[in-house]
Amino acid sequence: MLGVDGDDALAHRLVACGFWAGAVVERLQRAPFGDPLLFRVHGFRLALRGDEAARVRVVGAT
Amino acid sequence: MTAAQPADAPPQTRRTVLLVGRPNAGKTSLLMHLTGSLQRPVNFPGSSVECVESDVTEGGTALCIVDLPGLVSLQPNSRDEELALAVLQGRTRGRPDLLCAVLDAGKLAVELAFLRQLRTLGVPIVVALTKVDVATAEGYPVDVARLQQALGLPLVVVDGRTGAGAAELRRALAALPLVAPAPEAAAGAAPVAATPTRSIARSTTDRLDRVLLHPLLGPALLVAVVIGMFQLVFAVADPFIGWIEVVQGWVGDGVAAIVPAGAVQSFLVDGVVNGVGSSLVFVPQIALLIAFVTIVESTGYMARAVFLLDRPLRKVGLSGKSFVPMTASFACAIPGIVAARILGDERDRLATITTAPLMSCSARLPVYVVLLAAFFPPHQAGLLLFLLYALGIVTAVAVALVLRRSVLRGGGSLLVMELPAYQRPRLRLVLVHTWFAVKAFLRTAGTVILVATIVVWALGYFPRPAAIAAEFDTARAAVVAGAEGDEERARLDAAEAAAYLEQSWLANIGRAVQPVFAPAGFDWRMTVGVLAAFPARELVVPTLGTLYSLGEVEASADEPDARLSTALRAAKGPDGRPTLDSLTALAVMVFFALCSQCAGTLAAIRRETNSWRWPVFTFSYMTALAWLAAVAIFQIGRWLGYGA
Repeated sequence: MLGVDGDDALAHRLVACGFWAGAVVERLQRAPFGDPLLFRVHGFRLALRGDEAARVRVVGAT
Repeated sequence: MTAAQPADAPPQTRRTVLLVGRPNAGKTSLLMHLTGSLQRPVNFPGSSVECVESDVTEGGTALCIVDLPGLVSLQPNSRDEELALAVLQGRTRGRPDLLCAVLDAGKLAVELAFLRQLRTLGVPIVVALTKVDVATAEGYPVDVARLQQALGLPLVVVDGRTGAGAAELRRALAALPLVAPAPEAAAGAAPVAATPTRSIARSTTDRLDRVLLHPLLGPALLVAVVIGMFQLVFAVADPFIGWIEVVQGWVGDGVAAIVPAGAVQSFLVDGVVNGVGSSLVFVPQIALLIAFVTIVESTGYMARAVFLLDRPLRKVGLSGKSFVPMTASFACAIPGIVAARILGDERDRLATITTAPLMSCSARLPVYVVLLAAFFPPHQAGLLLFLLYALGIVTAVAVALVLRRSVLRGGGSLLVMELPAYQRPRLRLVLVHTWFAVKAFLRTAGTVILVATIVVWALGYFPRPAAIAAEFDTARAAVVAGAEGDEERARLDAAEAAAYLEQSWLANIGRAVQPVFAPAGFDWRMTVGVLAAFPARELVVPTLGTLYSLGEVEASADEPDARLSTALRAAKGPDGRPTLDSLTALAVMVFFALCSQCAGTLAAIRRETNSWRWPVFTFSYMTALAWLAAVAIFQIGRWLGYGA
């Protein structure tokens, strides 16, 4: 992944949870109503809402 | 354990140690193993302390270990984190001597980034590495020796489940020279940990999540878990309740046999034994409910429930995270209201706080249980119990929706939540949580409830007009002596007791207020019970026990362990017709489900919102809703032809 957009509380939170440049993010599952989403980063599972996940810039998404 | 320490060596120095780490890193279990004491393992509104602390002595050094709320960075995102940060930076309670950084081996990369931030505080650090076994199972084994070398900090591997490593950690905490670590030493640490061996195979947690978070199976299983919880609480507790009632009957009989009949006997049997006994009966259910919630939480399923419910809860203006304070409120709204601190957004938090007391707490359970057992067959009772809980939830959702569309419009908190790997529940943690809940209940039962029971008994016993005594003495004198007259004498005794009760101060108070509750079908005794419950719901069952047993000498003479349920069913008005039936019972239960009858909850709301506005608002809307709902049920029920 490339980085996190913005410089607010959400951005700080995402970085603190391991979303920094160079990290590998894997999308695992969706909740029943399509939101939130479950990701794996650095080997642990993190749930993000769609709008939260939208702040994470990635390359090579599959 | 502290017991292993030599008692003759007085501590020479004292160190304040802060346990710092992410939520769920295992700080609380670690604290239990470090100090060997059973500390209440949640943040509970103590005097001024918002975090749990515990003392232990190690080799002549007294360690005061403070368990901080979870932190993920030095940038706070919720009230909980602000509190933790204030303590950490020495703003609330003086500078800490030492930090014990509790790091989860399963997320080393982010944990090390956090550790780097912690080093900038200039406080000596000892690292406690937890969940190494979980990390290995998830495909991320940790090379502990290399990690320690790279960090240049004392590092101890601990196991929150077994307590292995706790003694070593305690020694490390006591022995570490109080010299601040060099912040730059951390520079080389991250790359070491960032290269774990990644196993391609799916872990057990991944496989479980496939099922438990499945779009269809997931929600279905969640509903099943919740329904199962209530059925379990109702079914498993039943034999225990029976035993407690038998013992209560023995004690009452024993006292009655020793103490001569009169005011003192009535005080002891009808007031004290009956009052305390009727609240002790509910210990099994409270214990089971708390144990169940703790098990769900410690397996990691609670986070899955938040994940599943986030979208629906957002639709009504709450957050998935509201599920945690809401679930805690099923045990008691007070820790639930405090737990709402995990919500970052103030409007989300207020909406959660004002609606959390609608969750049926463990103090409401006794009311439900007594009335369900009295007026409904067992196969309906379980379902009705579930519906009463559902009523609280549905009302909370509706109120939250209205609030978020009106006074609390806009905003919204973040989710960004970790779903931990599944773990087997920790028996020790379950036992500790359950024990603390039961202890808190017993403390209330032993003090507030006992005093209130005695007051209610006195109001119901006095005054005793001499005219009534004279009238019944005359009647008794006319009855033939010997066994043939026994039945008649018992009938007269009961009639006399009922006549006294009708004359009592309590009856007068009840009759004065009863018109307010008449549209809901409450008799004056139930009205008194409702009034007595406003300071604390725990009071209603002992109050009803006193009220209905005072007038029912006959029933309690025939079967000493007669349940309050029997007495409720047998209660008759002046016209000789039963004053309560299944419809009134339903109205009473719905009233209790919705009404704000707990001074402690209102005090907690006052403290957590720092204003009188929210407790006043919560009390008003809940009480108004409760009255309206009870009246609606009774009136509609009558109109449909139910009840008398």
